[in-house]
Amino acid sequence: METDASSYLIRPNYKHKFKAGVAKEYMRDILREELSGVQYNPEEIPTLSRSLADTIKNKLKAAGFERYKLIVQVVMGEQRGEGVKMAARCLWDADTDSYAQEMYVNDSLFCVAAAFGVYYY
Amino acid sequence: MHPIKKISKEDTWRSDDLKVHIQGHNEESRRKGRSKRDEESLDRQHRDPDRDARREKEKHRDREGSKHREPEKDRHLENRTQEDREHRYKEKRTEREKRDEDKEREEKKHNRGEKERRRDREKERYKEQDIEMYKQQDRDTERVKEKDRERRRTERDRERRSERDKRNEEKTEIKDLDERVRDKEREREERTERHKARENDHRQHKYEEKHRDGERRERHRDKEHKEREHRRDREDKEWRRRDKESNEADRRHSQEAGIKDGEKASEREERHIRQDKRHRETSESKRHDGERKHKESSGHEQNERTIRDKEVENHKTEEDKKSSKDCHNDYEEDFEDYEEDFEDVDDDEEEEKEIIHDDTVKEDTELSPRRREEIEAIRRAMDEENERIYFARSKPTITESSVTERESLFNSGPKHGKIIDFVSAKQREISLKLAHKQKKRSEELLRLIDLDFSITFSLLDLPPVNEYDMYIKNFGTANTKQAYVQCNEDNTDRDIQTEEVDMTEKWTQHPPESKAACGGSEVSQETADESTARMTFDSQRLTTFLRSATQVMAVLIEENNAQSNSLRRLRSQTDALSFSDGSLQLNTRLPFLHSRQVSLLQFSQVQRQTLLSVHPPASKTSAVRMDNETVICVWNMWEPSRPQKILLNESEVKCCCFSPGRVTSVFAGTAVGSVVVWDLREHSGTHYNLVVGTEEWTLRFPTFSTDCVLSGVGHLSPVVSVEPVLATAEKSLKSFITTDIEESLGMSFQLASLDENGLLTLWVVVELPKGNYSGSQTNLGLRPGGKVKLLHSSSTQTTERLSQDIMTYGPPASLQLKFLPSDSSHYFIGTNMGLVRHGTRHSLKVLPKYYRSQFHSCRPVEVTTLDFSPSGEPLFLVGCSDGTLRLHSVLKDDPLMEWTCSDGSPILSVQWSLTRPAVFFVLDAASNLHIWDLTLNDYVPVITENIQNDRVTVMAVFGEPAKQNRFSGVALAKQSGTVEIQYFTRSLTVPGDSDKEKLHSVWQDLFLT
Repeated sequence: METDASSYLIRPNYKHKFKAGVAKEYMRDILREELSGVQYNPEEIPTLSRSLADTIKNKLKAAGFERYKLIVQVVMGEQRGEGVKMAARCLWDADTDSYAQEMYVNDSLFCVAAAFGVYYY
Repeated sequence: MHPIKKISKEDTWRSDDLKVHIQGHNEESRRKGRSKRDEESLDRQHRDPDRDARREKEKHRDREGSKHREPEKDRHLENRTQEDREHRYKEKRTEREKRDEDKEREEKKHNRGEKERRRDREKERYKEQDIEMYKQQDRDTERVKEKDRERRRTERDRERRSERDKRNEEKTEIKDLDERVRDKEREREERTERHKARENDHRQHKYEEKHRDGERRERHRDKEHKEREHRRDREDKEWRRRDKESNEADRRHSQEAGIKDGEKASEREERHIRQDKRHRETSESKRHDGERKHKESSGHEQNERTIRDKEVENHKTEEDKKSSKDCHNDYEEDFEDYEEDFEDVDDDEEEEKEIIHDDTVKEDTELSPRRREEIEAIRRAMDEENERIYFARSKPTITESSVTERESLFNSGPKHGKIIDFVSAKQREISLKLAHKQKKRSEELLRLIDLDFSITFSLLDLPPVNEYDMYIKNFGTANTKQAYVQCNEDNTDRDIQTEEVDMTEKWTQHPPESKAACGGSEVSQETADESTARMTFDSQRLTTFLRSATQVMAVLIEENNAQSNSLRRLRSQTDALSFSDGSLQLNTRLPFLHSRQVSLLQFSQVQRQTLLSVHPPASKTSAVRMDNETVICVWNMWEPSRPQKILLNESEVKCCCFSPGRVTSVFAGTAVGSVVVWDLREHSGTHYNLVVGTEEWTLRFPTFSTDCVLSGVGHLSPVVSVEPVLATAEKSLKSFITTDIEESLGMSFQLASLDENGLLTLWVVVELPKGNYSGSQTNLGLRPGGKVKLLHSSSTQTTERLSQDIMTYGPPASLQLKFLPSDSSHYFIGTNMGLVRHGTRHSLKVLPKYYRSQFHSCRPVEVTTLDFSPSGEPLFLVGCSDGTLRLHSVLKDDPLMEWTCSDGSPILSVQWSLTRPAVFFVLDAASNLHIWDLTLNDYVPVITENIQNDRVTVMAVFGEPAKQNRFSGVALAKQSGTVEIQYFTRSLTVPGDSDKEKLHSVWQDLFLT
């Protein structure tokens, strides 16, 4: 590690930048694949959400977002007609860091997957 | 001891790290004692710790041995130890105080532990164990203290002894040693006993542990009690000591007696020790045997299990400790203190052991092989045990349970080497370095980067589903029906309502009244505006309407007046005219008609009520202008009060006629040979308006005049007659021409004009589509804005070279022109020779060429009038200036009949009745009006009226042949200039059956004769 401040890689290469659209695509595919026809079952959901998060994380890791710390959050809930609001706040460098969010809803459950890519300087 | 090593240890270890490690390896460090540990700590796991211990022991022995060999040194050492002891004593005191403090601290810790227990039970358990451990340590220290106490006692004794006799220090020392050895032995015995008990109770270990905990606590509490007791005991001990001293004194005596004795005593002591040792060893071996047996038996497993459990627990505690290092700093310090204590104690022990070793070394020299074997066996057993413990351990940095710890403590001092974890230390150091670096790096980076609080990303916003959707979602699937059930409680009522009907009142009217054609409460303003707009738009139509309306109204009013007048007049002059059925007078008392006679009267052939009167300029000059101009008045017979139009022409008008069909224009031939046209449709505004008094008169000048324009082709002599020429295609009579047909024909018709020289000129009447108010360059003679003009069509010279005899009477002159009604190409011209010439426009030869008088072939008599029968028979009447009247057929040159009026005065006008075919009217210059009715009398007129009071100058017959509204009459222009219209009686108006027959018979007679 050089101490010289000018040698820091402050910005990611565009090729490796966290692209929300790409991530979203991946997430959508995964959610579709995993959740189609799944009924809400309170016993299975915790494991399912964890595995989903892992799947997404691995997929994103393979997507080549170099020097990015990836944080994947998957929230699943039962669809009972109640209103749900979910939001996120981040303290980050908006130039480099980004997030992607994807939603899957069927008639028994809803699933929100959010992936945050935080650049690792 | 190993001061060098100590120094090195402190060199290599930083205090913090050391603390941690010491804490981690409390037991080990204690067990290890003074063994070399630093370098081998990592290797120690693999090595046999016991062997190390053995080696060390041997070393010690060697050292001791050397010490023995050098007794002075030994003494010196002894001195040093004493000094040390004194020093230690002081230290101990302070340490005791410290310990008290520590105790308090421990209590505090207890409280803290309780708090933590609440938080985490597991942690708490470990902590308890920790505390147990500390307590154990305390207990150990207590034991040490006991030792110390004894030592102190001995010291005190010694001091006392020294006070009493300081003669032989060595001896006392030996005694001390003895004492100490004895004490030690006592202790050891106790310990071994305790040990045995413990061994026995091994299976109830856990229970015991708890029990012991309690005991320990009690012990802690009773510590000071004990101290007090101790003091009390001291006196007893003193007693005992005195007893002993007496013994010792004996012994001293013996020693004094000889060194041998001392040696013997030492030997004895040694023996004693040996015995003790043996005893100890045997007990140990027994224990080990028992343990071995245990191993073989099921108990062993339990033992192992317990150990393992403890170890696991310990391991956990260690982890716990590591995690809570910071918060346990105080602890660590405490531990350190303890550690030091232990070290000190160990030192003491060591010293004692050294002494013992001294003995043993001495012994060893003369040790029997059997003994060695025993020792070997013991070592092996220890090794095994240690190994077992080691294998059971997952990590080397594990504190032992209280039992094993105690065992190790009492069995063999340092068994295992203390394991110092360099890896973790290094890791810690590295991690610290890394952390530092990262911190620096982050500081540098943060200078370059702006972190910002992002706006809140909404990850999910799922609105609540409304009830109906939910319902549909749950129940709206296939094979279900929605039903609506309602009980009375929520008595909902439904009503459907369409929007209210907008109602406004409106009205409309056609044709529009006043301003508005439609209206209502709301839109009245609008419609009013609209209607007014429409009104302005239709103003022209309105004016036309008003014009016609006023005309009608005027006519009605005039009629009323006229009727009343005529009635009055009829009453006044009852039998004025025998044929008259009533009369009216045209108002010719107009300023510009003043003193003018009427030269001509002419009725329209279509609009029968319309007539024109020609007023030539009077002979006397009047005050009014237009003296030289001929005035033509167009009258409506029913509106006699004033003329419709007033036409002016500068030259004298010889003849005039209306346009065929509707009265739209008036044609006139003048004395100067010009033909002029008046377009009656021209607006009054474009003409000269004469204001006379309150009345305004519009005086119209001709629209078109051929005066100068058509000089080449025009007439050179006065025009005597103008006649419209109807199209040849029209077979019907003029009377049948309806206005509609006329309109369809428009103004396209021909006009024939005849001058005195017999030049017949045909004009085409052309109506221009648009008037040019600025005057036309090409259409000369056209009035500015005029629309009707005459185009010269053809000219025919009708006069032929006549025979010489005719020529002798003077120049021939044409006087009258008439067209055959059935064929307009045939013209008949009356001449001044008493003849009527017959010809066609196309110069075809037709017979007869002349119609002549029956008696005179040719004589200078003017044919003043010529009139065809309107009934369709080819008959015409000719009136001559000599008073003769002839009835001609078209086919024959001789007249059918010829009459001569009574007095022979010239005939002014002859006209057939328009309603009765066999009736005609004759006016002669003597103001006699003869009415002929051929059905009644074909020799003399049936009625002859002589109007003498005001001579009649001009006569015009009018009548409507149509069956309904039939009327007929005659307009008479008097000498005074008035125009009187006389309606014929019914007998003269209504045709009889015989009329036509008579005429026909006459006609037939002609052919027959």
